[in-house]
Parts: sequence; C-alpha cells; structure tokens
Amino acid sequence: MTVLLLEGVSKTRGRGAHATEALRDASLSVDPGEVVLLEGASGAGKTTLLAVAAGLLTPDAGRVVLAGRSLAELSPASRRNHRARVLGFVFQRSNLLEQLTAAENVQLMALLAGGQASAAQRATNEVFEELDIGHLASRRPSELSGGEEQRVGVARALVHGPALVLADEPTGNLDSTAGRVVAEALARCAQTRGAAVLVATHDIRLEPFATRRISMVDGRLGAGRAPRGPRRSDSRR
Amino acid sequence: MRLIVKAVRNKPTRAWLAVGGVATSSLLMISLVATLRGAAHSVVEYIGQDGADLWITPPGADHFLRLSGVIPAALTDSVRTLPGVAEADFILRAFVAVSARPRGAGFRLTLYGVGYRAPSGLGGPPAFEIGHAPRTRREVALDRAAARRLRVALGDTVFVNGRAARVVGVTAGTNLLTTQFIFADAGAIEALSGFAGRASFIIVRLAPGALADTVAARIRDRFPDVDVFDRATFVANSQRETGVGYMPILAFVDLLGIGAAAVLVALLIHALVEGRRAELAVLLALGAAPASLVGAMIREALRLVVVGSMLGAALARLLALVLDRVYPLIPLHFDVADTLWALVLFIACGTLASVTPVARLGRIDPLEAFRP
Repeated sequence: MTVLLLEGVSKTRGRGAHATEALRDASLSVDPGEVVLLEGASGAGKTTLLAVAAGLLTPDAGRVVLAGRSLAELSPASRRNHRARVLGFVFQRSNLLEQLTAAENVQLMALLAGGQASAAQRATNEVFEELDIGHLASRRPSELSGGEEQRVGVARALVHGPALVLADEPTGNLDSTAGRVVAEALARCAQTRGAAVLVATHDIRLEPFATRRISMVDGRLGAGRAPRGPRRSDSRR
Repeated sequence: MRLIVKAVRNKPTRAWLAVGGVATSSLLMISLVATLRGAAHSVVEYIGQDGADLWITPPGADHFLRLSGVIPAALTDSVRTLPGVAEADFILRAFVAVSARPRGAGFRLTLYGVGYRAPSGLGGPPAFEIGHAPRTRREVALDRAAARRLRVALGDTVFVNGRAARVVGVTAGTNLLTTQFIFADAGAIEALSGFAGRASFIIVRLAPGALADTVAARIRDRFPDVDVFDRATFVANSQRETGVGYMPILAFVDLLGIGAAAVLVALLIHALVEGRRAELAVLLALGAAPASLVGAMIREALRLVVVGSMLGAALARLLALVLDRVYPLIPLHFDVADTLWALVLFIACGTLASVTPVARLGRIDPLEAFRP
C-alpha cells in the first residue's frame, strides 16, 4: 500500500507581492521500504512538500493521502493525532527538547503517538538498542555531539513505528562520519521496519542509501531517477 | 503529560529569579497585613488585659484610640461602691513628647502616655520585657520599640514633656506602629498634661460571679453621662479603629504588590513562551495537542507562583523573627488565614496573568521546527 500519495498538489506561501508558488501541481507516491531523496536547491519547495505531506500545511489544490487517509477529510485534531501515529520527523537541527534527557525525548514521541507509558519505555529501549545509542539515554541534548543528537533524533522518529519518516536535511549540520551514521540508520529503518523514508536534501552523500531520487525546481517535481551509488535496498517505483 | 510539562519548564536560573520576584511580592503583602495585625494585637494586649472587665468612657467614645473626651476622675470612687465591682481605677491618656536629652534636645518621640494608679492599679503595662512598673512620679515604663528608638535602657533617664524620669520598665505588646505606650503614675501624667482631676477611662474589675451586663447596666443607671463597654466589645471596637487609618493604605500597597506579582508572572510566561518557541513548535509538529501545551505552561506558571508565594510567607515569618530581635520597631503579627488568602490571591492572579502570554501559543507555527 502506498504510504504517501500527493496528487496535483499546489501551495502558495506568503501574500501579495511576497507570494511564492512553493508547490506547483506536485504528484508523488512513496511506498513502504522506499528511501526517496527529494533533491533541490534552497527555496525549491522541499520543506513545503514535507509540511504538506505531514498535514502541517493545507494545500491550495490537490489531494494528500497519508497512510490511507485523506488529510483534507480529517479535522485538525484528527489530523494531528494521525500525524503523531504514522509520521516520524527528523529535522535539520535535531530539535531535541533540551529539558529532557535523550531517552525522555524519544519516549515523549511514543506517548504522543498514543502509547502507554510502559510500552513507550519499552519501545524507547528497543530503538536505542537498535541504533546502538543506549549509552546516550540519560544525557541531555547539551551533553551530546551533533551526530549523537541527530541519532537520538532518528530514534525519536522511529520509536512509535511510523509508516513514513520525513527527514529535512538530516545530515546538513553533520560531518561526513556522523552524516553517514545517520543515513545508515534511516536506510536500515526502511529495510528492517518497512517504513518509507522521504528525505529532503542536497547532500550527495545520501544518494548511495536511496532507492529513488526526485529533483525539485521552483516547486515542481522532476521525474524520479535511480540512485547514482550502490543501492541499500530494492528500488520501488 | 509529565514530559510535556518538563519539556516547557524554565531553566533553573530563570525559574529561581521568577520565584524570587513572586516571593518578594508575597513577602511585601503578607508583611504589610502582619503590620496591621501587629498594631491591632498590641491594642488587644493592652485593652484585653486581665482585670479590665468593663470600660467606662466619655460619651460617644466607643474605642480606646484617637478620642479626646474626658470624664471626672472622682467618678472612680463612686463606681467602686457599686455592687459587683471588685476594683475600679481611672487612667489618663495623653500624648507626650519623650527624648533622651534634656529640654527635648536631639531625637524626640511622641508617645501614647498612660497614667494609671502605679504600680499595681488597673490599666498598667500588660507585659514587661524587663524591669517593673513605675512606683513614683519620677519613674516610667516604656515600650521596647520606643526604648530602642530613643536608645535608652533600663535605669536611663528620659525627659517626658521636659521632665526627667527614670526608665524602670521596658514593656512588650505596647507598640501601635505609629506610636508606642509610655506608662507613668496618673499624677505624673496629670501634671504633664494639665488634665488634673480628669480621666480618659475608668476600668472596672468585676467581683467574682458578677455579670458584666448587669454591672454595666447598673453603671449606666447611676451615671447616665458615660458609656460602658464590656471588654470584648471595647477590644473589637478598638481593633476596628486601628484598621481604619491603615486599611486604605494597606489595601492600596497590597494591590500594588499583587499587581507587581501578576505582571511578573505574565512577563515570566511571556518569556517562557517566547524562549521555548522552538521547543513548542517541535512539540506541535510532532503532534502535541495545543491544549496540553497550554496546560503545561499554566502548570509551570502555577508552580512558580505557589513556590514563590510560600517562600514569601516563610520569609515573612523569618523577617518577623529577625525584626523582633534586631530591630523591634515594627510589630508583625501573623494570622494563618491572612497567609492563606495571600496564597489564594497570588495563585488566582498568577493564573489570570498567564492567560494572555499563553494565548501567544496560537501564533507559533509548527513549521518553525523545520527552520535550520
């Protein structure tokens, strides 16, 4: 089943003289297990596409179906709950909550997704083990390196078993080693958990981990292309 | 949700600064009320002392303070003969100028002079911190705060309306805040004030088994030109009168204190919302319900207000102890109900004050989470 379906989606950001067509008739489908790279320069509309896909922005035209539910048909509260359950976010800066430990940051996401406290705790332990970051559990974000923060960010995105992970420049602030670790974690997530991963990036280091690359220019999506490097999983179209 | 509350919590330094601000406002408010209570408490200590069962007053004078009528002192002898009266003494009250140097040189205090049948008549000092009651016209007992302000101690000489008198007693529970008591023999106050043969009040001790109402009625029948009050009524009237002058000022300053605390809380929550803007955007993007974030912010505000208010209440008690030992000029008397009211007011104002800044949450766009 397609995890994310965008059909003819358009979105204008800003008003009057500052209005910009951030998305123009964009159509896209992402299936489970795919790692799709959304490539383009800054301002191409990548983040807007992610926000529309997440239901954080309402498109001016077109349809968005996320994990089998059309977002337009959901009330704001239902859309929020649906987002919390089926989506995982990885941001450019980790966006970990500084008052919480790494484990609490991850556990919070599991709770927001509707999990019970004990189940959230268990899921947190499992994802920390899977990503081999158990030793970071009790640290606060200020005590983590950039790479460690982002790995915890990935754990937060995966802890509730989302159908789709949206990652916005997840390696943008990382050195090559840390970036590779994060990219591997995302790719492994798609492989082992069957989640779809949609990554907005212009970091070519991610290409070897992708199953598909889509370019984006001025709000328009280009045709999908096969990755340039060795694929980490089977390509799905 | 516990983790959301923790996530939006203030950093410790900022939180403690806020708690300190609320505590200071709370301290101000509770201390001001305690000041009024302290003055009223001194009135109770003096008027409510043992043996003062009935108070005979000039017509229209229903309380102890700020009235200038007099009655004939000779009435006292007639009152003593009435059935049910065990003892009766008059007191003469007059404001007197007291200094530690001759001819009023240097620092001078205007004190509430009470002349009574020294040393053991009714209407004398309610309690002594040190020393004893005056025995001659050249001796006085004065309030501890007044002694402190005049820098005099037991055995020193003070000048009352220019006449020398030795301090033989330092009294407690006799500080009315704006003035203090000084006790002397009635003859001395008569001579100082020019009210010879006059009395401000006659105090009656009832005979065992005598009923206050019955004896009061008997006095009214016999002496229709005076008023008579039982102790409880006279105390209540005098307490009321204590507050009359202070209440508007106290209420005004207390309102300012509450207002300052409310502004502080509003500022704090505003800063919290703005300072946690990125975190709040992330939480909204992740799927946190706005209502849960509002609840968390208000809980945070309440936490700071409650801790600050309670700390202020505790500091007020501590301040009272320190003042009593180091600088006993301001009488502070605490009432648990006052403290509870202050806490309730602060919590209510803190909650209300947090509403406006919390409303700013609605302006936070979850997309801010995507900003690099």
